[in-house]
Amino acid sequence: MVSRCDRCGACLPVCPLFGVKGVEATGARGKNTIARALADGGIEPTRELLDVVNFCLLCRACVDTCPARVPTDEAMVDVRQHLTDLAGGADGKYRIIGGVLKRPGVVKAAAAALSILRRSGLNGLFPHGMAPEEYTRTHFLAAFAGPAALGQKAPPSAVTVTDKTKVACFRGCGMEMMFPEAAAQTRDILKTTTSLLVKQNVCCGLPHLAHGLREEFLALARENVRLFEDVEVVVSDCASCGATLKHLSSFFADDPAWRDRSAAFSGKVMDLTEYLAKVGYLTRQRVDALFTYHDPCHLVRGQGITQPPRELLKAAGRFVEMKEADVCCGGAGSFHIDYPDAAAQILEKKRRNIEKTGAAVVVTGCPGCLIQLAKAAKASGGKFKAMHISQVI
Amino acid sequence: MIPEEIKQEIRAIVGPENVLDSELNRFGYSYDASFVPLLPASKPNLVVRPLTTEEVSRVMAIACEHEIPVTPRGAASGRTGGSIPLQGGISLALDRMTRIIELDERNMMVTAEAGVRTIDLYNHCAERGLFYPPDPASWKFSTIGGNVAENAGGMRAVKYGVTKNYVMGLEVVLADGAILRTGGKAIKNVTGYDLTSLFTGSEGTLGVITRALFRLIPMPKRRGTLQAMFRTLDDGCRTIHTVLQSGVVPAAAEIMDRTCLEVVARHRKTELDPEVGACIIIEIDGDDDAALETQTKRIEAAAKACGAVAFRAARSQQEAEELWALRRGLSSAVAALAPNRVGEDISVPRDAFPEVVRRIGEISEKHGLPIAVYGHAGDGNIHPSILYDLGKPGEAERVHRAVDDIFAAALAVGGTLSGEHGIGITKRPYIANALGDVGVRTLKAVKAALDPKGILNPGKIW
Repeated sequence: MVSRCDRCGACLPVCPLFGVKGVEATGARGKNTIARALADGGIEPTRELLDVVNFCLLCRACVDTCPARVPTDEAMVDVRQHLTDLAGGADGKYRIIGGVLKRPGVVKAAAAALSILRRSGLNGLFPHGMAPEEYTRTHFLAAFAGPAALGQKAPPSAVTVTDKTKVACFRGCGMEMMFPEAAAQTRDILKTTTSLLVKQNVCCGLPHLAHGLREEFLALARENVRLFEDVEVVVSDCASCGATLKHLSSFFADDPAWRDRSAAFSGKVMDLTEYLAKVGYLTRQRVDALFTYHDPCHLVRGQGITQPPRELLKAAGRFVEMKEADVCCGGAGSFHIDYPDAAAQILEKKRRNIEKTGAAVVVTGCPGCLIQLAKAAKASGGKFKAMHISQVI
Repeated sequence: MIPEEIKQEIRAIVGPENVLDSELNRFGYSYDASFVPLLPASKPNLVVRPLTTEEVSRVMAIACEHEIPVTPRGAASGRTGGSIPLQGGISLALDRMTRIIELDERNMMVTAEAGVRTIDLYNHCAERGLFYPPDPASWKFSTIGGNVAENAGGMRAVKYGVTKNYVMGLEVVLADGAILRTGGKAIKNVTGYDLTSLFTGSEGTLGVITRALFRLIPMPKRRGTLQAMFRTLDDGCRTIHTVLQSGVVPAAAEIMDRTCLEVVARHRKTELDPEVGACIIIEIDGDDDAALETQTKRIEAAAKACGAVAFRAARSQQEAEELWALRRGLSSAVAALAPNRVGEDISVPRDAFPEVVRRIGEISEKHGLPIAVYGHAGDGNIHPSILYDLGKPGEAERVHRAVDDIFAAALAVGGTLSGEHGIGITKRPYIANALGDVGVRTLKAVKAALDPKGILNPGKIW
């Protein structure tokens, strides 16, 4: 797939990392060409190579702009896997994160620990914003549900879902661990539209896939496919989980036992906003707050969803579009932990774009983005808050 | 190859973070957008990323003293290998020099550093109602320094000319580090040799262009985009020829063949009418809607007379932009059709355009190789893309002969090897055919005078 690249350079201005570093190997063209040279035996699999392929947000901005649609993100994932296989195992750090995310019990324990940290105010001690402050729906309504909001109370939801539609929600690790209040809001919203089925799903597997733990990813994927076989719709409030689950079938193309089952599963997955648009959801309130929206990479480019979240925000308050809304925030899974400086530089641009809108709340649909945006909100000195969409609609 | 103490000197000039010498960083500066094979890689020994002309000058002085080859580089979006450091040495990346120094509205001129992206220069001027017309397909990512060094063309050449038609002056760091300033804001200027023109299109072999002064023109007030479909390329070519003969000069007049249209259809997930074998896209501009309407009517009449099966005007700005975006991405999209591709850049007198397109069709049949054809029909610059698979036995030889035939066809109708990509590495073997011995000898004499040690972009052009 990388051989389709003719090195024209169209990806250079859109690659956020090339934007902050400017060095060829940090941009999509450089990484692609390096992957190609690796495949053709022109360069050696070294530590430096691992650094080059890890230094990618997998944001797909390059893929979208590429005249030949070269999937640089997939190439990076493949090279990471290849290097892991060569090294006889993933980097210890990724193995530990992967191990935590594989076990739902540990995810819950982590969520509980974070909750204690937040209450005690100790979360500020954690590096990389990995214990982000969560601005809750209660905070939000307290701040914005003033007289103006009361005067324009949204009518109750008129959504009716037929009894036959069995809807379940997918509980993503990031949402459950980092933003449990928002995850609970998602379920509350879904319950106004359907008799929601809640399952003990396992991790979507993206963190494993992204860091050379492909077998673990496939095992998790099979487990999820099995688990949701008796439902018709699987709703995700995490852009990354949703995008991963929607693409599962492509990883089982050569596996006759799982090809059709995984394809059937992928066909059931919907992003929260996509589902809500489909059922004609009416927001629970309308407040006099100015929203802006950050497109998660895995929603805008991973799933092609741009309008439903904006429509929901326009119904829930006033809306203003920010410049470069669909440019990666620098979060990208564990990227912001591995490369804090580059991630911070990218986030700085995002913060300026948010501030320019004058919005009071930046809304998104991905816990990874929310971690970053919460950092940006803090850096802005209270000019805006960062919230998950389920908290404001 | 470059001793550590010299590297240290260079680090002291540009800052250690702007000097790269790791294996993969060097590899990253070993290629451009040409079809020169990636491997074996022509890696520089050192990548140097200066910020100022002064830094470039000091780096050149060191390179000259130690006879280290230096290959200037913008965005490495060139199509002929111009920025590939063939003999190692220093890859001098100018992409940090991104200041637009001055927009002089009274004289309608703009001064910019070499690393400014073409589109940024365009937008900067457009905000003040001024127009920098040259628009190579790569304008969103190519740098203006590279555009000057290659004398880049673009879609709008038919009406507005190419880069050299806008360069009024240059700042150039010479091989020994001396800083030369040529030209100026005076429109009439015959003081001494026309060095501005000499360095424009010199492909980094005579000096390092660090800054350029461009003239601008008023921005056209209205623009429109027209598209017409034809059964054959010949019908499309004749249409553009007829339009130009009738005195209407479109801002751009592009043609593409069936293969290109299939790429576009795939991209848009649409079906292509089986009857259609060619398409032309035309940009028109003028002072008001009436001016556009007059041109549209005349172009439509010409298209219908030449057998157009469909004709339409883009209804919105967005639709027009989509059409042009597809055209700009065509080269890379066509390249992805086959394992290997050679994209050429021949240029012929514009009345010979239909003839050379016919000849390319014959060459394709003769060698049994698909050749996708698209190009700037309005100015006679055509990009035939030979699609092939090096895995097939005898393929390399067939391609080689087809390329020979394409160049021969261009020269036979009074044309030349390269319209806008330059000679670089890829067209080097053919230059004597195009220029003759005296021509090449003269180029070499100029080179020897300006770069006696031969350190600037060695191995290029001849």
